Parts: sequence; C-alpha cells; structure tokens
Amino acid sequence: MSDLAIDVKELTKTYRTPLARRKVEALRGVSFTVERGHIFGFVGPNGAGKTTTIRTLMGLIRPTTGSAKLLGHAIPSREARFKVGFLPEAPYFYDYLTVGELLDLAGRLFGLSASVRKKRAGELIARVGLERAQSQSLKKFSKGMLQRAGLAQALMNDPELVVLDEPMSGLDPIGRKEVRDLIVELRDQGKTVFFSTHILSDVEAITDRVAIIARGQLQAHGTPAELVRRTILGIDIMIRLPQEADHADLTAGAERIRRHGDELSLTLPADADVDAWLARAHAAGAKIVQIVPRHETLEDLFLREVALADAPEDGSDDAPKETRA
Amino acid sequence: MIGRIWAIALNTFREAARIRVLYGIVVLVIGVNLLGVVLGEMVTNEQARVARDVGLTGISLFGSLTAIFLGVFLLYTEVQRRTIHAIVSKPIERWEFVVGKYLGMVLVLTVLVGLFAVALIGMLLIQDLGVSSAVLKAVVLAWFEVLTVAAIAIFFSSFSTPFMSGIFALAMWGFGRVTPEIEAASRDAAPWIRTLTKITLEIVPDLHLFAVSGRTIEGEHVSIHAELVSWGYVAMASLHGLGWIVGLLALAALLFHRRDFV
Repeated sequence: MSDLAIDVKELTKTYRTPLARRKVEALRGVSFTVERGHIFGFVGPNGAGKTTTIRTLMGLIRPTTGSAKLLGHAIPSREARFKVGFLPEAPYFYDYLTVGELLDLAGRLFGLSASVRKKRAGELIARVGLERAQSQSLKKFSKGMLQRAGLAQALMNDPELVVLDEPMSGLDPIGRKEVRDLIVELRDQGKTVFFSTHILSDVEAITDRVAIIARGQLQAHGTPAELVRRTILGIDIMIRLPQEADHADLTAGAERIRRHGDELSLTLPADADVDAWLARAHAAGAKIVQIVPRHETLEDLFLREVALADAPEDGSDDAPKETRA
Repeated sequence: MIGRIWAIALNTFREAARIRVLYGIVVLVIGVNLLGVVLGEMVTNEQARVARDVGLTGISLFGSLTAIFLGVFLLYTEVQRRTIHAIVSKPIERWEFVVGKYLGMVLVLTVLVGLFAVALIGMLLIQDLGVSSAVLKAVVLAWFEVLTVAAIAIFFSSFSTPFMSGIFALAMWGFGRVTPEIEAASRDAAPWIRTLTKITLEIVPDLHLFAVSGRTIEGEHVSIHAELVSWGYVAMASLHGLGWIVGLLALAALLFHRRDFV
C-alpha cells in the first residue's frame, strides 16, 4: 500500500476557447504529494487553480498533461472513488431531496446496503447538526446548512481520503469551528483530509502540510513551520502612556501605530534598539503592557508567494496566463 | 452497476415528476381525446375513426414532444447546475449515469404514454366503440417511437445546449417520420442530391416504422381502423427502435465521457 494518499506530478490543464481561440492555462505543472493520515491545506487566491486541481483529482476534468494518483490508483479511478469522499465547491444538490434522501442516494452510488445507508445517514445527520432539518427539502436550506449536508454526503462511504473544496465557505464562526473540529476528528480516525480554503487561520491551526498555489503554479509546499520564516520581522509593543504625554519620539521609525486612549500599540523594526526605546518610554512615563517579537505568519507567506507569482518574470508588464493559440 | 443505474433512474423520475408542464400535457391529451369524441359526434358514423386517430396522434405527438423536452433538459441541467459534480465523483461510470438518466426518462414517458393510452381506451369504451388489437399495437408502436425520440434528444443533449438539442431532435423526428416520402421525392433528383439524401436517411432513425396506420406495408394497406400490422411487425419495429436507442446512448455516453465538468 502506498504511503501517499495523493501523488500529483506535473499536472497541466489548458482550456481553449472555441471562438476566440484563446489558450487559458489553468494549471501549469503542479506537483505535490499528500501523505496518508495528514491534514493538507491547499490555499491560493481566487482563480489560482485550486478548484481545477481538485476537480482533476476527482475525475471531473481531464488533465492536459501530467498524472495523479489517489490512494495509489491513477486518476480517473473508480476504485479510488470508492474510498474517497468529496465535497464540491459551493455544492449544488438536488434541491427536492431531503438530507436523508441525499445521503441515501450517495449511499446507493457507493453500493451500500439499505441498512448501512440508514444507519450511516442517521449518524452523519446528527454529526453535522441537521437533525432538526431532516424533514425539509434542501431547497429550504441556508448556504451553511447545504455545506453541512455536503459534508455528510462526503462521509457516507466512511472514506480513507476526504477531499473538501472550500469546506468553510458560507459558514459562521461556530460552523467554521465545527468543521475544523470535524477535520481534526477525521485525521484522528486515521483518514487523510485534503481541503482548499481562503481562510489562512484555519490552515495554520489544523494542517500538517500546506501548499500555496497561484496563477496555476505551486508556489510553496511543506509544513507550516517549514514554510514560514523563523526570523523576527519586527517587535510588537503595547504600552500605557499618560494621555497628555507626547509620543512623537516613541513612534519615530515605527509601523502600525495605533493609539486608543492611554494605550499605544506599534511595531518596531526587527533591528531596532529595544533597550534604548524602552528607556525613552520609561522616561516619558509609559508602562509596558506587552513586547512580542513578530515572526512571519502563513498570511505573510501567502501574500509574499502570491505577490511573487504575480510579479513579471521578464520585467514586462505581466506574465501571460492567457495567450492566443 | 444495476444499483447505481437504478439510483440515477429513480432520481431522474423524481426530478421529472416535479415538472409541472408534464401534468399540463396529461390534461391536454385527455382534452384532445374528449375533443375526438366531440368531433366524432359531429361526423355521422365516424366516431370510432375520429376517436382513434385523435387519440393515437395525441400519444405520438405529445409523447414525442415530451421526450424531446425532457431529453434536452434533464442531462444539460445536471451539468449546468453542477449537481453532477457530487454524482460522477462517486464510483459511477459516466455511461452508467447517461443510461440511468435515460431509464429515468423511460419511466416517466412510460407512465405518460400509459396515461394517454388509458385516456384513449377510456374514450373508446365510453362510446361503446370497443378496443381492437390494432389499437393496442398502435399504442406499443407509439411508445417505442417516443422512447427512440428520447434517445435522440439525450444524444444531442450530451454535447449541445437545450435550444440546439431541441432543434436537432425536432428535425430528426420530423425527417424520421417521412423518410419514405423523402426517398421517393429524391428519385428524380440530380445524382448528388440522391446521394446526399441517401446518406442523410442512413443517419436518421426510421420513425415512420412506428406510425403505420394509413401506409402500405409489404404491399398491403394497413389501418388502425381495420387490420393493422402483425405482432411480428410490432416486435421487429420495436427491435429496430431498440437498436437506435442503444446506438444513440452509446454515442451519448462516449461524448459525455470526454467532457470536462468545470
């Protein structure tokens, strides 16, 4: 059995618009691997190629070149799909079904017996908190409820690998936390979870590995700790200062300066002489509340990588993503 | 495999049963049958002829139009609304999905044709006109015509928009109904027109095989009002339709297999 749940090699996808004969490169040589039992976060801005990658993995789109394996099976693989659960982006389901009927349909497609379908559906409806909405058709569901129903149908086959395209989309903070907890719970059960998202705090909180994609190319790939720079980017300081005190001397050369009443927050450059600054602050009558060295976050990394991807490769205006055939 | 196809077929039936237009068509067909009764009363000694003709035309016309309507929309909307994403990402082959959609349509169309037939037979019985085997044979032939038209529509729907699919399917239905007439008309035409006509007729299902009343079959005039074709003919025509259905579904599945669902 392969140790890899997902193995993607040099995946490309090029669309050609039939009339304008334009060539749009949605994926440009994407390669990455996901180990079994990991939570893998796939992040990127809109139009970066996240959904195209996921749809290619799930057999909805045929790659132009390159290859990929799910649980050791080359895509598109029916064998693999038996062991994979999938939540599409902004999921659309048959809106005349109830959530129970949707899960029953999913169970039938996985070849589950009627008793297993009934048992699994009941458990999953309870797990995603839709018991009260069981008798309603999906037409009456809110976006968040649909997302929960989508998660339930993705788990109907008790999958080894769960692929979730924007699972937190449309959820309120409580819903987001519940999905995060569910993802961690799935990992704890030995399952692999691959999910795309825009919400970097979620990625940072729960993922074992992260990949950043922009303009159809993978920009970075590794554990969050490996990816973010450990060097200090600056020093975040918060002090209490008498209202009448002049703080011009203290804020010179600082960034992110904010004053609320007697509280002053600012960020000193990484190479600033903090001892000298503190001495000046004490002299001005300040009381130190907090001093924290600021390291790079996943958000900083994301913005840096996306900016790099957007930067012209040859000094020209922009790297072409869309070209004429 | 059968379980997966059946799951899609049942879901398609459920989906189609929600289309209110279908209920309107049932009411319309019953209305047409009642009209047949009224018209029959206006023509002395011709009640039976008018009732049968109007009733069967209703089955064939409205059944085929419903088949085109369902065929061009049901597959297309799956792709357009992206409901297909959560389906074909499961262990179902795309050809199984196409066949399941078609079988779902078959269920709907069979119920409709059944209701139309019940309406026709009901009208005949109410008027004490009796139901001959010719009527039953004609209903079976009309049913297979409707199922073949559904396969035509689903074939076009596998690669085209509902509007274009509808036009193509209507054109094929129209041509298929009059292939002998087109063939006869082209006999005196220029050689290239004859060749073109021959090629065209080869790629159009012979739907005229299902609408035999009033035609000459194997040298004999057949009519729903007297002697229609034999049950052997009905079986052969149905097999012919089945051949087209299998061929069209195979092509639809092949085209659907190659599609990207973006």
